[in-house]
Amino acid sequence: MSDMITDTIAQTGARPRKFRAATAESTPVRLALTLLALAGVGVLVVAPLATVFAEALAQGWAAAITSLGNHDAQSAIRLTLWVTAIALPLNAAFGIAAAWLITKFDFRGKALLITLIDLPFSVSPVVAGLCIVLLFGANSLVGGWLVAHGFPIVFAIPGIVLATVFVTFPFVARELIPVMIEQGRAEEEAALTLGASGWRVFWTVTLPNIRWALLYGALLCTARAMGEFGAVAVVSGKIRGQTATMPITIEMLYNEYLSVAAFSMAAALTALALVTLILKTTLELRHAGQLAANRRH
Amino acid sequence: MHIQIDEIAKSFGSSAALHGVSLSIPSGALIALLGPSGSGKTTLLRILGGLEFPASGRVLFDGQDATGMSVQERRAGFVFQSYALFRHMTVFDNIAYGLRARPRGKRPEKAEIARRVTKLLELIQLPDIGGRYPSQLSGGQRQRVALARALAIEPRMLLLDEPFGALDAKVRKELRQGLREIHDETGLTTIFVTHDQDEAMELADLVVVMSMGKIEQIGRPQDIRARPATEFVREFVCA
Amino acid sequence: MAGTPFIQKTPMPGLRLSAGITLTMLSIVVLLPIAALLLQGASFGPANIWEVVNRERVWAALFLSFRLAFFAALFNLVFGLLLAWVLTRYDFPGRRIVDAAVDLPFALPTAVAGIALTALYAPNGTFGQLAAQFGWKIAYTQWGILLALIFVGLPFVTRTVQPVIAEIDREVEEASATLGASRLHTLIHVILPMLAPAALTGFALALARAVGEYGSVIFIAGNIPMKTEIAPLLIVIQLEEFHYQAAGAIGIAMLLISFAMLLVINLIQILSRRRMGHV
Repeated sequence: MSDMITDTIAQTGARPRKFRAATAESTPVRLALTLLALAGVGVLVVAPLATVFAEALAQGWAAAITSLGNHDAQSAIRLTLWVTAIALPLNAAFGIAAAWLITKFDFRGKALLITLIDLPFSVSPVVAGLCIVLLFGANSLVGGWLVAHGFPIVFAIPGIVLATVFVTFPFVARELIPVMIEQGRAEEEAALTLGASGWRVFWTVTLPNIRWALLYGALLCTARAMGEFGAVAVVSGKIRGQTATMPITIEMLYNEYLSVAAFSMAAALTALALVTLILKTTLELRHAGQLAANRRH
Repeated sequence: MHIQIDEIAKSFGSSAALHGVSLSIPSGALIALLGPSGSGKTTLLRILGGLEFPASGRVLFDGQDATGMSVQERRAGFVFQSYALFRHMTVFDNIAYGLRARPRGKRPEKAEIARRVTKLLELIQLPDIGGRYPSQLSGGQRQRVALARALAIEPRMLLLDEPFGALDAKVRKELRQGLREIHDETGLTTIFVTHDQDEAMELADLVVVMSMGKIEQIGRPQDIRARPATEFVREFVCA
Repeated sequence: MAGTPFIQKTPMPGLRLSAGITLTMLSIVVLLPIAALLLQGASFGPANIWEVVNRERVWAALFLSFRLAFFAALFNLVFGLLLAWVLTRYDFPGRRIVDAAVDLPFALPTAVAGIALTALYAPNGTFGQLAAQFGWKIAYTQWGILLALIFVGLPFVTRTVQPVIAEIDREVEEASATLGASRLHTLIHVILPMLAPAALTGFALALARAVGEYGSVIFIAGNIPMKTEIAPLLIVIQLEEFHYQAAGAIGIAMLLISFAMLLVINLIQILSRRRMGHV
């Protein structure tokens, strides 16, 4: 451990004598703070992660894989992937439209619009689900009409999609807005003076400049969409094999004391989460300059 | 305070910044370290201030070895190129910072701190800006506040890194005169780094011309101009 | 503002399309559902809402949710600052991996976090057994809820503060040292004030997240009325019994308290930014 601290000093500038830089803490302090941080991350983050896999494999690989193979589990996995696949493009389209509107035009009430877009972050997912039930539930005005015409939303897949879109609503827009503000309007204006049409400007000038930020926002959105529990729990009705997503299935299995099955499903979801995390970290390392996450204040 | 520099060497990674530099600076002198970027002048200044440490060689203050002395103990009034004012503090709090940072026993009383800060604000001829924040000041005002902040700790020497670098030509001329006056009034050994030969020649008692981590020539401005010691000095000073 | 047109004229294309998509989706997904909740509340009437909220069990749940969310955010403020500092300023083997691991609470589904934390801290779990030896029960108590809330809010402060630390001008720290300040004095009086606005933003985000958190909490909470029952769970219980008006009343109470809290934090932030001179 002390080796790595001296390594650090060696990197910041050769200082063969034992002088301490004016802007650094003493070695014991560094060591203590580093260990404290590592211990915290270990206990709070790494230990739960390890537990997921340990519990899933408590009775071996065969038991874990078998539990994922049954009909209800398969249908939960399919449903979660479908919901994510629908919610993601909806949010990407909204994010791009909102970022374009906010960064390319000057209008009154822009600050209010940004606040409204961020609103879902400060609303409890359960309250979000409640709002959707109140608007589209069978005994509401809108919901009643829709049910009468054979298009139920609550306790059905459209409700799950709506709840998922609600909780992930700001992700793409929040990534794109700072990046597009920084890039300004000059390139688009130049393309317009050269005679390009609006769509051409967007596809050939704007999109290439924001593609990594867009992907980054999409990854955040995907991770949250696959794992959303509170809002979906309220609107789904938890019908096994029909409206039970992966997180909902985990809850049902866990409450039935089917620990291995619950943790196997959790491990599958965690593996997906880890993949998005790795992709996201790679993006941050490769395209730091284009991502807003690195300068968010 | 007399400053003696003995065979100071320093490198960053594989590139050498200073090759065995020696220099004696008489007490109360106003010295310019003049050279192009990469000549090692700022590194030398930072070594004197205790912000960098030499790989070999010694620094003596009034004959006493100060090579390993910590930056806090040195009491070197340092004015940074960016001024490095604390932007969340008022001008008054910036100047009082060094006095308030002293350990309890050595800390002046509140009234005494206020008295000293007021005096320094008068010295830099900005008596009414104590309540403002750095972001509300002009570049020239910021530079003078940084100078007052450095003077507040009753420094043993004054070290300035490109003190006029970030200012426009007109303000630069005015502040040169200001630095000269403050130097004459306080009598502090003052060393400033510059790449501008006019500035060095006009302001300093003694000019140290540096290049590639070595001292090319030390002398009074008129002597350097009249008799450049090397081809480099001739080109750099007379260009 | 008076006299300026509602929209500045510009040759930029796509105004109608982007405004159309933005406003339509915002309305359907966010505004109309929230309006439905508020309308429901309005038709139910303030007196009735008060009657629902003013029950011992509801008060206990609301108080528990906001109190524990506040403490969890406070912990994350301190630990998040430490983590941001260590990850930005120090270099050690595996720093990149630890940095990436900080985002795990964002990526990990809350239900997964909930059952994992429960398994870990239950009396027969790895950490639970350890705690039991000291006579300390974590899962199924308020400590367990606090732990889950700390988990979900962990990345916020770290992620808002890290870029600010990276941007600190080293000369400012050096200036403090040349003026005789000890390292600790510099950290407290120079660096901490510079990080404060970003840290406060992270605190507010962590707080908002923790107040509404459901998935990671219900498994570890034990859900005993008056003791370990959080406010979002009360809403779920009312909904399962089809008491839409009672659920709506608690939802409105949560919404109002959350907004009031965020408003206060935003005000503090505006004041602190103004003090720094950049409005």
